[in-house]
Formats: sequence, structure tokens, C-alpha cells
Amino acid sequence: MVTRTTAASSATEPQPGLTYRPHVDVSDRGTEVVLVADMPGATADTIDVTFEDGVLAIHAAVAPRATSGRAIQQEYGIGNYRRTLRLGEGFDGARIAADYRRGVLTIRVPRLAAVLPRKVEVRAG
Amino acid sequence: MPAYRPGFALPLDELREEIDRLWSSLVTAPPLHGWGTRSEESVFPAVNLRETDDGFSIEAELPGLGVADVDISVSGDCLVLKGARRSADEAAEGATPSGGGNADGSQSAAKVVWLLRERGTGAFERRITLPVPVDSQRVDASLIDGVLTVVLPKLAACQPRKVPVRGA
Repeated sequence: MVTRTTAASSATEPQPGLTYRPHVDVSDRGTEVVLVADMPGATADTIDVTFEDGVLAIHAAVAPRATSGRAIQQEYGIGNYRRTLRLGEGFDGARIAADYRRGVLTIRVPRLAAVLPRKVEVRAG
Repeated sequence: MPAYRPGFALPLDELREEIDRLWSSLVTAPPLHGWGTRSEESVFPAVNLRETDDGFSIEAELPGLGVADVDISVSGDCLVLKGARRSADEAAEGATPSGGGNADGSQSAAKVVWLLRERGTGAFERRITLPVPVDSQRVDASLIDGVLTVVLPKLAACQPRKVPVRGA
């Protein structure tokens, strides 16, 4: 389902229900595609990674920060993360590995062995 | 185009996300932390500053940075945040299970093709002036899941004091 971004009513307090699109680096390493996403403030158990029909979807529910006092300078917002990327066919959804460390999510999506180039040895007769 | 099935990501979702993002930028939603491509003169990192009677707390999003990558110094009413994030190539090499080293030197010499590179890198330094001086001896900083939190207690002289009013 599409998470809707709700309209913010105040610029000075964190808004519940905001959803951000995390910045990602995506690299193709031949045998796998590696996605790295900046998702600070999430936790491993609230991150949801799905792969369906060649589309990799990331979602993380980020709890509002426990804050005391009053905001006197608010330069960025805190909210959930959501992003989808179309990788296409030929990937092995069962062997996707995801790792969350220091606020960075790394996902490795291996290609199916059947689609990898294979070097065929030529036997001498 | 596959039929719409709730619960699964669809290509149209990407368009929808863009529209949502554009919409939220039109209303007054605060922006995402600034770890994208940033211009040379942009103020970085973005911080959220809160004040209580006892002091201040500053939060900044520093994904991918370790404790050793951040340098914080406090003097009077001035807080300086310094640090650096490695480039995506270095970080990717470090994250490869087969080990570090340069692409040309390591055993995993598979050619890397970048499909998207949005995560900013490089060094930053930001100087923040607080409304009143803080006690630099009692400043506490933590970096958890990429979120830096610095708690700065106000000097006793700068804390609000309740003044009793005498009657006649």
C-alpha cells in the first residue's frame, strides 16, 4: 500500500505520519545488485524488505523521538522511510540478504545462477 | 502492466512516491536530513535543536558514521561538529564480505557498475552558536543507529532561577 505523506501543520515540531524517500546507492556487481540506503533512526526489527515481481521495496517505521523541552531550531524532519526500486527479472528473491548497521541498510540481491554467464571449458579430444 | 494487488510494490508506486514527495515539499513538511547531493555552501549537517530549563539537546543524522568518525568540541556557547563519511566506493569495499583492498588488488575484482549514487560523502564541519553558554565539562554525546545526540547542560549561572516574591 502507498503510505501517504500527511500535510504538516507546524514546522517546529516533528510531524507524525511523515514518510521520506531515503537516499540510496545501487551498484551492479555482476553476481548481485547491492543497494545501500541511509535510514538513520530506524531499527532492524521495524525494517521491511520485500521483493516481488522484480521490484524491491523497503519500508521502515520510525518511532517519534522521545524529546523533551521545546524545539528552537528544526532543520530536518523525522519520519518513516519508503522506497521501491525496479530491478527486473533474473534475481533470486529467496537469497536476498539485508543488514542494518549504523543507520545504513545494505541489501544484497543475488542473480539467479541460471542467468549468470558461465564459462564453458573446452575439452581437448 | 500487472494488475493492482494491494500490498505489493508496483511501478506506479514510484510515481506516487514522487508526487507525495512533491506534495509534502509544497506544504510545510520539514526536509529529510541533508545526506544527499549537497552544494558546497550548504549548511551541513542539518540539526534539530531543543531547549529545556536545564540545557539543550542537538540531534543530527549521521548514517554510516562510527564514533571515531565524529569530532565534537564545545567552548562557551559554541558547539563544533566535525566529521567525514567515506565515499561509496570505499564503503562498498568495506562491506564486501570477501575483504577490503582496492578493486584492482582484491580477489573480488568484479566490475562495479553504479546504477544510482545519491548518498553524499566527504567531510563536514558545522559551528553552532547556542543561545547561552553551556557547561563543556558535562556535555554528553551518543551516536546510535546513525543518530547523533548531544546533550549540553546550561551553566548554573544561565539556568532560570525562581525568584520568590515577598509580601509586604
